[in-house]
This record gives sequence, C-alpha cells and structure tokens, in this order.
Amino acid sequence: MATKKAMLIDIKRCIGCLSCETACKQLHGFSPEPEPTLSDTAFTVVETRGDKFVRKICMHCNDPACASACPVAAISKSAPGPVLYNADKCIGCRYCMLACPYSVPRYQWSKLAPFVKKCDLCSERIKAGGQPACTEACPVQASVFGNRDDLIAEAWNRIRGDSSYVPHIYGLEEAGGGSVFFVSDVPFEKLGFKPAPTGNLPVPTLTASALGDSPKVVIMGGTILSALYWVTQRRREVALAEAEEKTAISKMKGERS
Amino acid sequence: MLTRIKSEITLWRVITAIIFVTGIYATYLRFFVGFRASTNLSDQMPWGLWVGLGTLCGIGLSAAGFGISAAVYLLNMERYRPILRASILISFLGYMTVCVGYLYEIGLPWRFWHPIVMWNHRSVLFDVCVCIMTYTAVLTFEFAPAVIEKLPWKHLRETVLHFHHKILVGIVLAGVLLSSMHQSYLGGLYLIARGKVHPLWYSQYMHAMFYLSAIPAGLALTVMAIYLSMRSLNVRVDFSILSDCGRMIQLLLIVFAFFKALDLTANQAWGYAFQRTSEAAYFWLEMLLFAAIPIFLLSYDRVRSHPERLYWACATVVAGFMVSRLNVSINALQSAMGTHYVPKWTELASSVLVIAAAVIVFRYAVMYLDILPKLPKGPKGFTRWMSNSSLPAHA
Repeated sequence: MATKKAMLIDIKRCIGCLSCETACKQLHGFSPEPEPTLSDTAFTVVETRGDKFVRKICMHCNDPACASACPVAAISKSAPGPVLYNADKCIGCRYCMLACPYSVPRYQWSKLAPFVKKCDLCSERIKAGGQPACTEACPVQASVFGNRDDLIAEAWNRIRGDSSYVPHIYGLEEAGGGSVFFVSDVPFEKLGFKPAPTGNLPVPTLTASALGDSPKVVIMGGTILSALYWVTQRRREVALAEAEEKTAISKMKGERS
Repeated sequence: MLTRIKSEITLWRVITAIIFVTGIYATYLRFFVGFRASTNLSDQMPWGLWVGLGTLCGIGLSAAGFGISAAVYLLNMERYRPILRASILISFLGYMTVCVGYLYEIGLPWRFWHPIVMWNHRSVLFDVCVCIMTYTAVLTFEFAPAVIEKLPWKHLRETVLHFHHKILVGIVLAGVLLSSMHQSYLGGLYLIARGKVHPLWYSQYMHAMFYLSAIPAGLALTVMAIYLSMRSLNVRVDFSILSDCGRMIQLLLIVFAFFKALDLTANQAWGYAFQRTSEAAYFWLEMLLFAAIPIFLLSYDRVRSHPERLYWACATVVAGFMVSRLNVSINALQSAMGTHYVPKWTELASSVLVIAAAVIVFRYAVMYLDILPKLPKGPKGFTRWMSNSSLPAHA
C-alpha cells in the first residue's frame, strides 16, 4: 500500500499572494484571473476573512460523502489520499455536489457535455513522486505537502512551538478526517469553517442506517404481505365453499319438498 | 369553413398548444444549448425544479398504483377493483414522466444506462435509480393486459394473459416492496445533506416522512383523475368508492401529521416554525394545504360524498404535497447554500410539457382501452353518476 500523503495549510503563515491559485490554474490551462469562489475553472481559491487568508479546496475526506453518494461509483478515495473523479463513469446527476459537506464539487454549467470539476490533489504528479502545483508554488510554506503522518507531526510542532496557534487541526478528525488539514491562529469558526454536520463521524454514516434497514424491511414486509395474501385467499376460498354448500343444501331441500 | 375552424379552437386546445410550443422550445434549449440557457441551476443549487417537481412529485403522486394493487390483489379488497386499472395507469404514466425527466436532469443523458451496470450500493440515488427502473417494468407488466386484450390475435392473447395471471400476484408483491423502498429513499436522498437541509425538514427519519406523505397524495391524484374522466369522458365508477378513498386519504394525512409533529418534537425543531423566516412561512403553507385543510374538509360527509367538493379537497392535498416536496428540494436548502433560486421558465415549461403529454395519453387510454367502466350509450351528464350506482363492476 502506498504511503498516505496529505496537505497542511497554515493560515497564520499565508500571505494571500495567490501563488497557489495561479499555479493551479496554470497547470490546468485555465485563464489566470483569480476567482471569488471555487468554480469549474478554480479548484482552489484564497478567500479573505478579515486580515486572514483562507484557502478553499477539496478536503479529500477519508470516507467521502461524494463517493458514497455517487450512483455510478465515479468518485473514489485512492490509497495515497486523493479523492478521484472518473469522468468516464459520471452521468452528471450532481448528487455529489449536494452530498459534499463542504460544497466543493463544481459543475460545468455552460458546456453541452458537462462534467464535475474539483481538485484531485494533483494525483498524477504525486504518483510520479512529485507534489501538487499549489504547494510547490507556495513561497512561505503555508501550504505544504508530504507524508500524512509527518505532516500531522509538523502541524502539532507548529502549534506547540507558537502559542498564538489555536490548538486544533481542522480536517484531521472532522467528518472522519481527510488528506487536507488546516492550522490557524484565529479560531476556525471565525474564519467561516463550519463544524462538520456529523462531528467526527464520516458523513456517509447518515445514510448507512436507512440503507441498512432496507433488507430487513423487505424481508419483513414481504413476509407480512404474503401472510396477509394467504389469509385473505383462504377466507375467500372458505366463503366460496360455504356458499356452494348452502346452495347444494337448499337445492336438496327443494328436491325433497 | 372559417366558423368550423373557429369552433374547433377551445380554451383547452389553446392552452395545450402553448404548453407544447413553449415546452418543445425549452427542450431544444436544454439539449442543444445547455444548462445555462435552460436552467437557473448553479453550484449552490445543483438540484432544482426538475428534481423537486419532476422526480419527487412525479414519483410521489404515482404512489396510488402500488397501494390499490396491494389492496385488490393481496388483501382481496374487491371493492377497489373498478379503480385498479386507472390507478395503475396513472402510476405507469407518472413513472414514464420521471424516466423522461431523468434525461433532462442528468448532464450526460446518453449515459442514462450507467447505473444499470456501474453499481454503488452505498448510494441512495443508486438504489432509487434501480428501484424506479425495476418498478417501471413492474407497472408495465401490471398494465399490459389492458393493451394485450385489445390485440386481434386470439390465441396469442389467451396464452399471454394466462401466463400473466399466473405470476401476477408475485409481481404485485415485488412492486409493493419496490415502491415502499424508493418512495422512502427519495427522502433518504437528503439524509446525507445534514447541515444543508433546514431543520424544519431535516430529520433522520426523512425517508419515513416521504413514504407516509406519498400514499395519500397518490390516492388524491387518482381521485382527481377519475373525477375528471367521469366528467369529460364516457366512463363512470360507483362514486362511493371515491368517497371511501377520501376517508382513506384523511386517515393517512392524520397519520402523516401525527408523525411530522412527533418528528419535529424529537428534533426540537418547533422553534424554527415560529421564526419570521421564509422557511417558516413555507412550512405552515405545507401544513395548511397538506394537513390541516384537507383533514378538516374530508371529515365532513358532505364533502366526501359530493364529487366536486371531494375533487377540490383532493386538489388541496395534491397542491400541499407539491409544496411539501418543493420545500425539501428547494426552499429548505437555500439559506444554507447562501443562494436564492427561482426556476427559469424553461425548467417549468419542459416539466409541464412532459406532464401534459402524460395527461393526453391518459385521456386516450381511458377512451380506447378498458380502464374505467364505460357508460352505456344514453343520456350523459354530471348528475347521472350519483343516481345510478348499480353499474356492473368492471372485472
């Protein structure tokens, strides 16, 4: 199994130079103008919150809601970490967009054959032993890439070494954790980070119980309905037989008299 | 000549023409220009009117087919046999509109078959797709005799109908289970969007709420369709059957309202209902139209046993049901997604086109197939149905 990779984003260090955004756009051949929010031509953006800069990017969840929601299994979590989208399978239902707790996936609304677009953590470059374009472009190591375990240690080091950091790594455990996490010197809720809707549980657990019930419901419902059918049929047969008997008796009586 | 043409132009024909012209243009925009030109959907509102009206209402309002067929075939409630075929036809056409609507909804419609071969058993939407596909086949099977019995080849007809009759009960049973599953899974689709769906609607039992609300709505639509058929076409059923349906609808609505109230209490969501928000307003509109008003109206025998009043009570149920589904699919999401979505006219026009096509097929099916008992030739009229209730039941 490949070593797990991850990306650490340090909000304290970020200077808002947009190098990551530009590098990403350049790599994908999009026009370099910065965009206010994620779009089908901006897989990461730098948002300004007060005097802080917050990168928006796919969190590459360990148990992704989008992957569990996709009816044709076009989205999957790869072993090194990136959550990958298989455009050959996608039917364009956009359920992944509804399912994602971070509302990351974007759609090519203006195309006639539209696909879902989101960050893939530069999966191809990682496979070749490199790192994502955004972390490579970061001049101040606010975004760094590496082995997941090393980066978690690095994140804790930064928090321990500087008391201004909030003692929390956002994205490490939220919604079951993922391959992208943040450290910050401003409380995360003030920067627009929402608490995950499921706490530290993976989002797909929300549907697991409803889906898990279905075999039980089918078996129970099937048995009850079959039993009811048998009972009503039996009653009908009995009623028919009784009616026949009655007519036979009355016929006999009629013959006698 | 001119006067003859003039007399052919009726209000409904003009409306139908408008629906077809705008609908076909909207369809052209959807398939040849794209989503931008044909919808107001966005990254913040990826699912809109097509899902809310086309799929959620379309499937929900088609719930009568499995209910009535379970009553007649499985529970031996022969009383409802006269409206069995009509309810199966309504469901069949409803599912057809959903299947056509599915092609509008998905971005790559030529890949509509992907869910058949590319499975993801963890996905609620996958289960919905498979159930709807299978159940559409079941409905086709259940409805097939109405067409087969009109075929001119006697031998083929008898062989097929004999075989059909042999496996019918099993298929009906499967249909009831399939329906129960996907009627609830449509609500289950939104389970994963916790934090996005407004607390007035989000609950871990959303799927159960969808199931409970679909059956009365489907019955109400069936009553409406049969009433309209009796009014405008040469068919008639014993009206007391529809009155009983009215009673059943009321009972089911009370069950729904009870569980909805229970659910809100369990989730401590009542507070949201008394805030000055648009969500609260939509919530009360839903509760009024789908619960309070019809439950009140249908408790009166004067309403239930009067065709026109029963029709309007059922129309309230159907309207309330549509509000309820659009609430979940659009209104409940807007504030969390930070957007305001108003469907583009093209979204509405294409949905209405598909529904209108289904209505037209229903009309001709009732006219030319044995869907509802036909009125013997003679005086027609609105008042006749009440007086003459001893019409032979349709087998």
